[in-house]
Amino acid sequence: MPFAGKKLYDALVVGGGIAGIESALNLANNNLKVLLVEKDLTLGGKMIMLSKVFPTLDCSACITTPKISEVARHPNITILTNTNILQIEKQDKNYFKARIKEKARYVNISDCTGCQLCEEACPVVVPDQYQYDLVGRKAAYIPFNIASPRVASIDMDNCVLCGACEKACPTGCIDFTQEDKEYEIIAKTVIMATGFNLFDPLKIPRFSYGNSKNVITALQMERLLAPTRPYNHVLRPGDGQVPCNIAYVLCAGSRDLSVGNPICSQICCMYSIKQAQLLMGALPMADVTIYYINIRSFGKGFEEFYEQAKGMGVNFVKGKVGKITETDNGNLILWYEDINQGKVIEKKHDLVVLSVGVLANDEPKKLIQGWEKDEYSFAHQKDLFYTPSLSSIEGVFLAGTTSGPMDIPDSILSAGSAAMEAIRYVKQTSIDL
Amino acid sequence: MAKVDLTFGKKLKKYGAIDFNACYNCGTCTAVCALSTEMDSFPREMIRLSVTGQSEDIKASLKPWLCYYCGECTTYCPQEAKPGELMMSLRRYLISRYDWTGLSSIFYQNLTAYIIAFLLVIIAVVGIFLSGTFSKESFMHLGHYFEMIAIGGVFLIILLPNLIRMWRFTLLSKNINANIKHYWIALKDLFTHMFTQKRTLACNDEKDNKVWWFEHFILVIGYLSLLFTTVFLNWFGTKSLVVISMGYLFSAIIFVVTFDFILRRVKKDSTKTTFSHFTDWFFVIWLFLMGLSAFTVRLFLDFNLLERYFWAYLIHITVLAQWALIIVPFGKWMHFLYRSFAMYFDKIAKLAKTGQH
Repeated sequence: MPFAGKKLYDALVVGGGIAGIESALNLANNNLKVLLVEKDLTLGGKMIMLSKVFPTLDCSACITTPKISEVARHPNITILTNTNILQIEKQDKNYFKARIKEKARYVNISDCTGCQLCEEACPVVVPDQYQYDLVGRKAAYIPFNIASPRVASIDMDNCVLCGACEKACPTGCIDFTQEDKEYEIIAKTVIMATGFNLFDPLKIPRFSYGNSKNVITALQMERLLAPTRPYNHVLRPGDGQVPCNIAYVLCAGSRDLSVGNPICSQICCMYSIKQAQLLMGALPMADVTIYYINIRSFGKGFEEFYEQAKGMGVNFVKGKVGKITETDNGNLILWYEDINQGKVIEKKHDLVVLSVGVLANDEPKKLIQGWEKDEYSFAHQKDLFYTPSLSSIEGVFLAGTTSGPMDIPDSILSAGSAAMEAIRYVKQTSIDL
Repeated sequence: MAKVDLTFGKKLKKYGAIDFNACYNCGTCTAVCALSTEMDSFPREMIRLSVTGQSEDIKASLKPWLCYYCGECTTYCPQEAKPGELMMSLRRYLISRYDWTGLSSIFYQNLTAYIIAFLLVIIAVVGIFLSGTFSKESFMHLGHYFEMIAIGGVFLIILLPNLIRMWRFTLLSKNINANIKHYWIALKDLFTHMFTQKRTLACNDEKDNKVWWFEHFILVIGYLSLLFTTVFLNWFGTKSLVVISMGYLFSAIIFVVTFDFILRRVKKDSTKTTFSHFTDWFFVIWLFLMGLSAFTVRLFLDFNLLERYFWAYLIHITVLAQWALIIVPFGKWMHFLYRSFAMYFDKIAKLAKTGQH
């Protein structure tokens, strides 16, 4: 539903990733009017960027996109993308006032057909954040093919204002005079589905990320493996060669006090095992080695999935990689202690994937007064066992990784639970606005 | 089957070990260590042995001496288990294990005993002086004799037997098939490491590692030279201008460098100076006092002030006696010998293993 400046909603859902989408659908199907606010240009969050999901190896985008179209078409859901929450205030016992800012897109959403002629015309090329910088994009661009809304946007930070896109656009929807718009809305309840941040491997210079092009993050590998992948093949970014000896460095930024994140990210072991299996399919001649401290395959079907990877020939080595150095031809030398032998080993690989961990998204703290966080900056859960979706503020509920690292099924469960609690809350405190 | 001994960890804490039980065996420390090799991988193995209390294996290991403490392992340890400090405390532990008298073990674990020993030496020196048996001049002669006797005595009674014990524990007990030729070839390593500490330079990171190495290097040279100048060239008795100025130079080197070392420990400017055992403080401070008091005594002599300010010599000889009777035989000083002999023994073991002639 178009926004059209409407003021009153039953629920405000902050975040349009899989948890926000799931919450919004649950609420809307129970006849609550929902405003879904996403800061990015498109819905889908991190899940829509993934190749496959563990342990079933289902296509990730094939699960996300139907849910997104359902949200997009739902009469009870209003979507605002490219929009930031500035402040949420609890007005009295029963409702919240939110100030939101819809950033200028410089494209009229309702008129854009997504024809991509502006993209062709635009002379500016910058790294594509939706492909995790593996390739470039234009300054006038559609985020990716299955984006929602699938409309263009002008990246004003990089635009040279040449006007080429405006001339190319057949519907005349490009509007350089657009400005950011601020609104104030009222909602009875708020669901925080603000997700997580990925650990930035630049914080560990020993891993050579940023210096060596052939050291990539697991999210970059997701893109290399996804059906909508940038090179249409798994190639290493340094020189475009087909890698044949790939290493995974687990616990890159997790379980590591020296970078301030002592907790387990819960997903890295499994997504690395998943990627290893996919690589076995994509590059049948390649060796894949996973360097680990402990493999944590605790979920349903996870241990079997791990055994399956071993059966497929993935090489598991117990020992955390200590440092990585680059050789002249872009290959990498990994230094680790093989714990089972008690020996330091130097091993050469031609592509290294850092299995980066999950960090809390600290933003809710800035958005709303009374927000309490736990010692790792995730949301404080008021009663972890009794009602895990409850935040420290009455009427604000927690969906997905807002409250801690979790995988996709757990995020969806958590989103359902948050929606249920929110419905109960609205019913109990219902007043006429 | 080895038995787990949890009391060992508690004991090791008295030698300065901290938090090593936090280790979850990821091997980061061993992987980042610049000195760790496929043949000699440490420090994780040493942490494992310490956690499970395998004191006999530790006693037979040379690895604690192969570490020159750059502190990278402690910086990068994901569990903050401080492996570098564990290696340091293992060296203290080994010093007390090698010592046949058992005094090192008492001194390392008990500050009170350590202080009492220092006090006893003060009482003895001041007592002898105050007894009136000796004139100031003959007291200084006595001091000179004491230096010579102490060097010989400590060497024969403590250093030599302890080195033999170290040799027995680390080489002999392992049935290493080394012949006399291996011992001869490896001698080169012994002296290189003893006088250059060049292995420190292979340690990377920790910004001023090279500066630190240089300071330590000239300190060792300065210390040995001052020892030679005072004992064999009779610095306090000589008329030779060359010897006198040499003595000034060497003693100045000692107190200037040790002053910087004390400052580093106060400022905790790197991992290796962050955690100081009380014996470390005694070591640097006494070395500083020794250099400074020797310098002062010679200065007073040159300006004919010593007669009037004889306390300067009294302080010097007390510090020296404490140094020679406590710190050298039963404390940190021994790392000078054990480190270089560890490199020597390690080389012998490697030569024997590869069967090189």
